[in-house]
Amino acid sequence: MGSLRNFIKDVRASRTLAEERAIVTKESARIRTRLKDDHISSERRKKYIQKLLYLYILGEKTHFAQVECINLIASEEFPDKRIGYLAAILLLDENQELLTLLTNLLNNDLNHPSRYVVSLAMNALGALTSPELARDLYVDIKNILDHSQDTLLIKKALACAAKLISRDPSLLEIFAPYASKILFDKEMDNHGIIIGTNKLIQSILIHSKSYEFDNLPEIIDKLSALIPDMLATLQHVNSGLSNLRYNVEGCLDPFLQVELMTTLRLFLQHFPEKTEPYKNNYLDTLTHVATYTPTSSNSCTSVLYEAVRTIFSFQAEHSLRVLGINVLGTLVAQKDCNTKYVSLNALLDVVSIEPQAVQRHRKFISRCIFDPDVSIRKRALELTFGILNPTNLKELISEILVFLEKAEENDRGLILYCADQLIMVFDMQENIDDSWKLDVIVKILKSVGQYISVEKVTDALIMINNTSNLDHKKQVVSDIVNVALEKTTSQVLDENLAWRIVSVWCIGEYADLILGDSKFSETSLTDYLYKSDSLHRDNSVVVSYVLMAALKLSTKIDTKTLIKKLREIIKSHTENTNVMIQTKAVQYGIIFNEPPAVKTALLEPMPIFEKKIPETSAAKTISQKYSAPAAKKVKKKENDLLLDLLGDLSLPEPTTPSKIPDDLLANPKSSATLQQQNQNILNTPTFTRNPIEIPPNSISVHSSDTVEVFGRVELTNSDQNREITLFLKAKKDIKTLQILIAVPKSQRAEFGPLSSHMLSSGEVARQSLKIYGPGSIKLRVKLNINSIADQFDYKFENRT
Amino acid sequence: MSQIKYMLLTSRQGKTRLIRWYEPFDAKQKSKILREVAANVLSRKSKMCNILEYQDHKVVYKKYASLYFIAGIDLEVDNELLTLEIIHRFVETMDRYFGNVCELDIIFNFSKAYSILDEMIMCDGSIIETRKDEVIRIVEAMDAIESNDDLDRVLS
Repeated sequence: MGSLRNFIKDVRASRTLAEERAIVTKESARIRTRLKDDHISSERRKKYIQKLLYLYILGEKTHFAQVECINLIASEEFPDKRIGYLAAILLLDENQELLTLLTNLLNNDLNHPSRYVVSLAMNALGALTSPELARDLYVDIKNILDHSQDTLLIKKALACAAKLISRDPSLLEIFAPYASKILFDKEMDNHGIIIGTNKLIQSILIHSKSYEFDNLPEIIDKLSALIPDMLATLQHVNSGLSNLRYNVEGCLDPFLQVELMTTLRLFLQHFPEKTEPYKNNYLDTLTHVATYTPTSSNSCTSVLYEAVRTIFSFQAEHSLRVLGINVLGTLVAQKDCNTKYVSLNALLDVVSIEPQAVQRHRKFISRCIFDPDVSIRKRALELTFGILNPTNLKELISEILVFLEKAEENDRGLILYCADQLIMVFDMQENIDDSWKLDVIVKILKSVGQYISVEKVTDALIMINNTSNLDHKKQVVSDIVNVALEKTTSQVLDENLAWRIVSVWCIGEYADLILGDSKFSETSLTDYLYKSDSLHRDNSVVVSYVLMAALKLSTKIDTKTLIKKLREIIKSHTENTNVMIQTKAVQYGIIFNEPPAVKTALLEPMPIFEKKIPETSAAKTISQKYSAPAAKKVKKKENDLLLDLLGDLSLPEPTTPSKIPDDLLANPKSSATLQQQNQNILNTPTFTRNPIEIPPNSISVHSSDTVEVFGRVELTNSDQNREITLFLKAKKDIKTLQILIAVPKSQRAEFGPLSSHMLSSGEVARQSLKIYGPGSIKLRVKLNINSIADQFDYKFENRT
Repeated sequence: MSQIKYMLLTSRQGKTRLIRWYEPFDAKQKSKILREVAANVLSRKSKMCNILEYQDHKVVYKKYASLYFIAGIDLEVDNELLTLEIIHRFVETMDRYFGNVCELDIIFNFSKAYSILDEMIMCDGSIIETRKDEVIRIVEAMDAIESNDDLDRVLS
């Protein structure tokens, strides 16, 4: 058998995949046979294992050699051990029973006179620690920490100690003292050691929850005494005062800086009370790092980014948070796309907490909408909708329109997202002028109509229908039809179905409005319907619109031949294979033949369509259906279901929903509360806050001594898209309110902004969200009230 | 904090040149990740950023000549930009060790490449040494013992 080098050469020289496979399979089989021989020399064995490692990289099966790596480790020769340990790390993992064979060998090697053997053994222990190995071998690691002066070994022993604790948290008592002992030993100007110590402290903090003995407070006390020292080290390194050998492109050891910040952050997250005495030190150091770290290279920005993550990991002062956002703002403005990506991501996380501060950087956020990278564009768009408020609405939406005009086929997802969001914003912002909204919608249809779903087109039609300004309506309709009729312009492509539907609908509804214009003739309109029909005969949606339009147009024109042509369109579908179309065609055919007076009366213009009506009326019927006792019963059941699932999660007994004011239900017109909520959706702290009221049909989903949460599922026609609104009623004054919501992985959620982050007792905040995807609605909600976390799960009963 | 899940080196043709798992994935997951992540990364255009989301974690990659260095990282704890620095540090260290490292060096001396990686990253993908010269000193010292041992064997 040839050498490893020749084997690699042979594999590489093979011309076809089949040839390569043949060589690989043959060699693998040969090694397998040879390794079965118990008497092969260690030289041979080493060679086989090396080849096997190459096969491992190629993705071949290598499990049969696992015992052999242990045999190699047992050898007294260093080269054997080196390959043996490498093979063990690659081929074994901590779930294998073979590890028991390794225990003795590791025990020997951890006490080996050669530092390199000890170091290799620690590599393997770090990679393969099982709880059993941790308990059997911790003494050896402790021994190294006690007696060794070798920085290589101490550094690795610290990392191993961190890993051992993760496998058996009871060990944290043994290793905790070394954190202080080593970190205070100033003689060691070695970053590897400081990083190792940090790993140890991190592991202790993370696994302290699983530690079962009652001396934990003492252990943590001793560790938190290190905080000032670590803050000082961070500032020291950040100022470039430490060992210059660690310089990375103008940034002194970013790896160490990030580790230090992680440890400091873990203290804040796991033991916030211990960090209280050092609050000002934290503040100073984080301010220092965020202010003085340059943005000149990736290594520097990684440190800045970590500082911001640390700032937002706890309830920092407002000024520090604003500083954090300003740092992110600078990062968004950088050229490097990775920096843009991470900073946009981070801004998305914090936009609900500090919308005003994020607002200030909108210039650079908008610029990212046009980034060549789709993942950056996506985040920039999400962020743009996140900072939308009545004052910047027009400016930001015009940016989005520019994006839509330039958008291409592969931006489909983003286009749909924008259209959805825009229509949602428009529905909620009732006080913006209608004409402008309509113009925006028409522009969207024109540039990206081919990607927009039919439901969204319906929304556009409703807007045209409802607009109160008649002149503007005429103008818009005339423009729409004009673009559709023009043959020369390729502006509107044939595949722009949305445009097709809208234009056909406009002709049916408003032919009388535009026929006075010289641009349009009865013939051209009729021909257009005819053409649309023949072009899209297979598309039942377009055909139904054409049928309706043909019927309506027939009452608005006088030319006999054209009316006859319209009748033919309808007639041609009376034998359509689609039953719905067929029924329509037959019915319309009957109406078509009615005398003009009857026909005109039947086909009067559409009334103002109140989109909110289904919502309120649905809400009404539901709350009527579930009159008080019934509602209570339903809730009881839900609660039981929840208890079954999650064991004894101490859920409070649901309180009866707020009293149902009868007059509100009796009079569907009084949708005042609803409108108020609508105005509130984009409110900013500067706006006078309208009090939000909890709709009567909401269900109490959670209650604590600070807040009571009500939820409401809005019924929509499809199961795939549901809207939920949560109302948070404060029982006490709430200075800071944060809400995080998670949904099952099979679903996707879209969040509106939280209406208010500050509540006085009795006030209500509102959070809306849309859920896409099938299945029942299960929410996991985490509330952060005055920096106290409160988490609960809730499942909404499926009532559709 | 660095908590790398795996470090993968892939050629432009999608061939794995080095793979090191730091989290115990099962065989099925491993082959899925190798296949999908590599394909995903290779299909990206040069103007795109070097970070992408994959399943429940993030993938950070960087192309050096014909070789893609790919690291799977935790969604929450890892710092994406720092991961790029870790990758870069690994490349620089190999560059100094091999002297203008190229793909062939790594193919033929994969065990040395592993050796360098193992001196930089340990346990659950956490970085333990940030200095290039320190890493190289240790690896070269081990190389020297190895060749001495060989020499001894020949002489005896």
